[in-house]
Amino acid sequence: MSIPGLGQIAPQQPTTSTTNTITLRPFWEWRFRVPRSSPTGVGATVRLTSGTAERDGTELALNHTYVFPRNTQSRLLTYTGGTLEVSGDYDDSSVAQYGTPGHSPQLSVLNLHFALQDLRAAVGKSNNNNNLNQGGSSDGAVPGPRVMICGGKDRGKTSLARTLAAMATRMGGQPLVASVDPREGMLALPGTISAAVFGTVMDVEDPAGGFGVSGTPSSGPSAVPVKLPMVYYVGRERVDEDVGLWRDLVGKLGSSVRAKFAADELVREAGLIVDTPAASVAKAEVEGLIHVVNEFAINIVVVLGSPALYTELQRRLGTEKTPHGETIALLDLVKSDGVAARDKDHMKFNREAAIKEYFFGDAKRTLSPFTQSVGFDEVAIFKAPDDSDYVDDQTTLEQAEISAEMSHWTLAVMNASINDPPETIRQAPVMGFVAIADVDENRRRLKILSPVSGRLGNRPLVWGRWPEPYINLLG
Amino acid sequence: MADNAADVAEDYRQALEDLTVNSRIEIATLTNIARENASHGFAIAEALANHIKKVPPARTLPALYVLDSVVKNVPTPYALYFGPKLYSIFMGAYTKVDNSTRRKMDEMLKTWKEPVPGSISTKPVFPLEQVRPIEHALMAARNAAYAAQQTSYQGQQQLMRGRQAAPPRDTPTPPTGRGYPPPGQQHQQQQQQQQPSYSGSNGQQRQDASQKQYQNHPASGPNAIPHRATPQPTPPIGSYPPYQQPGAGPVYGTPKSGGISIDKLKDDIQQLIVAEKAEFASDPLDTSKQTRLKALLDLQTIIHNQEMPQEQLMIIRDRVAELAVNIRPQSRPQVPATAAGPAAGSAGLTGLGLVGPYNTNANTATPPPAVSQQSTPMPPSAAAVIAAALGRPSSVSSAPPATGGVAPAPASTPGVSIDSLFGQGALAALVSGAARKSVTPQQTPTPQPLPFSQAPAAAPAPAPTPAPPVLGPAAAAAIAAALRSPPQQQGPAGPPRPASAAPAAPPSNPSALLAMLRQSGLINSGGSTPTPSSALAGLAGLPSLAGVVSGNPQLGAASLKTFRPHAVFRLYDDLGPPCSQCGRRFRTDDEGRRKKTAHMDWHFRVHQRMNDAEKRGQHRSWYVDELDWIRTREAIDTDYTHPAPDLSSASLSYDSSSYNSSSHHQHHHNPSGSQPGTFNHFQPSAPGASSSSTSTGGPSNIPYLPVPEDSAARVNGACPICQEKFEMKWLDEAQEWVWMDAVRVGGRVFHASCYREAYGAGSQPQQQQGVKRKAEEDVGGFRGKIKTEGY
Repeated sequence: MSIPGLGQIAPQQPTTSTTNTITLRPFWEWRFRVPRSSPTGVGATVRLTSGTAERDGTELALNHTYVFPRNTQSRLLTYTGGTLEVSGDYDDSSVAQYGTPGHSPQLSVLNLHFALQDLRAAVGKSNNNNNLNQGGSSDGAVPGPRVMICGGKDRGKTSLARTLAAMATRMGGQPLVASVDPREGMLALPGTISAAVFGTVMDVEDPAGGFGVSGTPSSGPSAVPVKLPMVYYVGRERVDEDVGLWRDLVGKLGSSVRAKFAADELVREAGLIVDTPAASVAKAEVEGLIHVVNEFAINIVVVLGSPALYTELQRRLGTEKTPHGETIALLDLVKSDGVAARDKDHMKFNREAAIKEYFFGDAKRTLSPFTQSVGFDEVAIFKAPDDSDYVDDQTTLEQAEISAEMSHWTLAVMNASINDPPETIRQAPVMGFVAIADVDENRRRLKILSPVSGRLGNRPLVWGRWPEPYINLLG
Repeated sequence: MADNAADVAEDYRQALEDLTVNSRIEIATLTNIARENASHGFAIAEALANHIKKVPPARTLPALYVLDSVVKNVPTPYALYFGPKLYSIFMGAYTKVDNSTRRKMDEMLKTWKEPVPGSISTKPVFPLEQVRPIEHALMAARNAAYAAQQTSYQGQQQLMRGRQAAPPRDTPTPPTGRGYPPPGQQHQQQQQQQQPSYSGSNGQQRQDASQKQYQNHPASGPNAIPHRATPQPTPPIGSYPPYQQPGAGPVYGTPKSGGISIDKLKDDIQQLIVAEKAEFASDPLDTSKQTRLKALLDLQTIIHNQEMPQEQLMIIRDRVAELAVNIRPQSRPQVPATAAGPAAGSAGLTGLGLVGPYNTNANTATPPPAVSQQSTPMPPSAAAVIAAALGRPSSVSSAPPATGGVAPAPASTPGVSIDSLFGQGALAALVSGAARKSVTPQQTPTPQPLPFSQAPAAAPAPAPTPAPPVLGPAAAAAIAAALRSPPQQQGPAGPPRPASAAPAAPPSNPSALLAMLRQSGLINSGGSTPTPSSALAGLAGLPSLAGVVSGNPQLGAASLKTFRPHAVFRLYDDLGPPCSQCGRRFRTDDEGRRKKTAHMDWHFRVHQRMNDAEKRGQHRSWYVDELDWIRTREAIDTDYTHPAPDLSSASLSYDSSSYNSSSHHQHHHNPSGSQPGTFNHFQPSAPGASSSSTSTGGPSNIPYLPVPEDSAARVNGACPICQEKFEMKWLDEAQEWVWMDAVRVGGRVFHASCYREAYGAGSQPQQQQGVKRKAEEDVGGFRGKIKTEGY
């Protein structure tokens, strides 16, 4: 007799839940962290009682209770002043005070947003003219600003991308946001690169601030509007583990983005914001960024808190022009002192939470994945050849032996057919993910957890090396 | 009669589904309904039992409380009906809920062994022979879990082979779908980390996690009993607070047992066990620890399984206290040894110290080192005012050190120190101004800082805004005016950023406020007189100001660092008032109103459908391919062109008619997309790839329905034409229970064949729009009906 999880009921803290009131003046921010093991299991509760506040550009509604789940590490910022009522579990909280707006690094972000907004307006105007003159055909039209955000590790790149996107959304725009950093994954599991249009409010309560996998469509309604991402699977944590694939996929994503611009004038007007992997001035990493600049026709490069990288990029891009003939503007922004380094455990918790959320939903939306048992011969699992027997440059994917080693891994389901050539499968868009719950080598059967019911027979599954297996996903 | 019972049960079931939170009133109502319909007791009991089985974990507890309430208030006949099923109901629920709910269930279980409080009957709620098996099972499970932990390390070596750094999965998570492994599990992980082959990165997290966890354990201090202040855990926010049955509290819960708290004792023991276990883990070869652990577990079993007289409980408690003392001193010396390794109780103790600093932060929201007033709970503005009113120049001058020296704006006029500014005219004016409004600062200790009144407060301390927001802009302006009552000296004020002179304005003019803002350096110096604007104009957005501050930012370092107040205005008030639910702003012009209406409708619809969807179960959708992604337009608060069809027509099928009907807005929400079933069959069958898996042929051509959730159809379960029951079958393709050969027409379910015979085949496609499922190929061909909005 064994009931899953039973018998380990942790003693509960005699929490006297105290409510603290935090008063923020304009440009101040409340930085906080919700611990991973929160005694009440609820997280931190925040209510904006007066004024305004926002998380990464998305405004909080007045007098609405927001619950930040465990392992959230973020800040609430106000441009106009506001009062927050916070309770629950949070630590490491502090109020960052700035004497004048000029001292806040956020001022540059705010101004950057309005500078971008001007560029968008200009595109909007010329679009309208084009539409009048050419009856709406706008294939050759220059899209709005394409911004790439880069910098070293823990500089706040993703937060900046999110903030700029959220602000553009607030002003009624529909910006495209792309993430080419496979380490975390945006609107998808780690190991992927993706892009999505953000035309609606982001989920403030999401630990990833609206970039989390919980913001993607499910079969039911969602209290926060979902975003529809275009996802490609790298299956690696770092770009340098498979540069070739990453470059190919960035190219694919770039062409998807171009096609999107051509098809949707609202998105074209709002432009693109690209979040990139952490980069130093190492040659390979700079090359990676240059590749992104080329593929997405980036015309504004924001370097966050990395002066050396800024200099290097200026050297490389100073004389370059975009395919649309614009010069590439480089901006050197300072990193906010509030950006906290995220340790390995923090990242791991986030990855596991993402996997769990993908299949089971979050506190607001419970999802029921499907478990199915399939024979070894009924699924086709591919993997990149091991480095050791990497002989032939042409072999990009090979069929994997199914073995117990696969247990607990999350595999990508590709939007391709198993009969497609390996190269096609490798670069196919991701349809979703399945988790291998169990491998029974004796009976040659797999237990697979899949988000959607139905057979997987025709879809190739790709077994990468990122995210790493999640042992406790299933009972 | 049978029908009647079915109806009652059905009504009851529906009532239960509306029970989402732990509301005493609702539970009492449901209890009353059960009492009044005691003649149909069996059907109601069935309905309740089924409900508890099916309900999502988050709502299980209220449902159980209904059972508890019904059984205690109407023991006859309900105790009889529930008794035999008690085990399966309870254990079924127990496995799916989270730990905090389990604790409540434990408490509830305990009350079942006792007579109903206040009742004359001395019989327990349920006979002991019905409650005991549950207790035994729970105990056994707990023990098994511990045993597994203790022995796991032996067998792990083999298990790990071939898995590469993947520890064996022997601690399954309860399938709550709720995200995160319970803390207890982390603890176990930690023990697994004993294994040499366990990868380090995992272990560190575990250790970290459990340190936090352990800090709650053995209370350090002279009194060695690991105390819990309240045996009943404080309910987490958002969950169901307990309900004191005898009292009149608003929520429902089970009464606690009196006397010496068994709960607390159990908890103490439990905590001891955990601590002991951790120690054991740190040194598995120490037999004395093993023995002690064993003894503790036995003790726990005994306490759980037997009613003990108070004296014995006392003895046990003392003994436990003693043990607690023993354990900790022993564990302490091990701290250095185990610090790097996997945890132990000792690590937990050190954790106490380690984590301490974090916790202290929680209570001090604003700890500015320099500004003493700001750390008071009082809003800074009020504090500043009071300080100013009291004429304490020291406190005032201490305020702006952060800003004084580094003002970026060029000082065009010599600055005046705060002391002089405040010491002279302004302070007096301020006080008099405040007095004029008969609002002394002390009487308004908590001004709600609206953006407006907050704005001046943004300036370093001297910003005097004692006006509570209710006073509105005029009052603030008046005060502002009062502040600058010696009008001539107002210009070159503000140490942080001396501003140029602003012309005097009539006191009722908001520009006075603006002037004050300038003075305090919040707003860049501007030469022109701003025109009165909206109430929030004080901070930003005065049109004339916009021109002054060099227009819009350019993409240059200097331009990006210049503060433009109107920028903030453009992000807030210019966009209109926010939606009260999500904060999205809508302008107040016609278009804005239209959008807002659509938006609020959207909120309403989503809210409505959330409940339905929860009942039905949802799942993540597949991502789309490039083509669909490119074609999909972001649909913002899109309204449906059709009213959403009756939920009952939820079907798995993509009948061509339903596909067509929605295809014209397939880039928006499609109406049948509101049915969760729609995506069920976005099947991963590649176009053109016909493999064995989809070519089973047979059943896929027969129309079927997923077994309806709505009970009207379910209860009858028979075709109105032939009166035969539907055949329920697990359809592999659909991965769902279905009724074969069934169609739904206007809310009623028929056999497809009967319906065809009766009404002719021709009428079918129109009438069962979206019902009939065509062959698999349709599904394969269907792509791109993915919503882009969480409808």
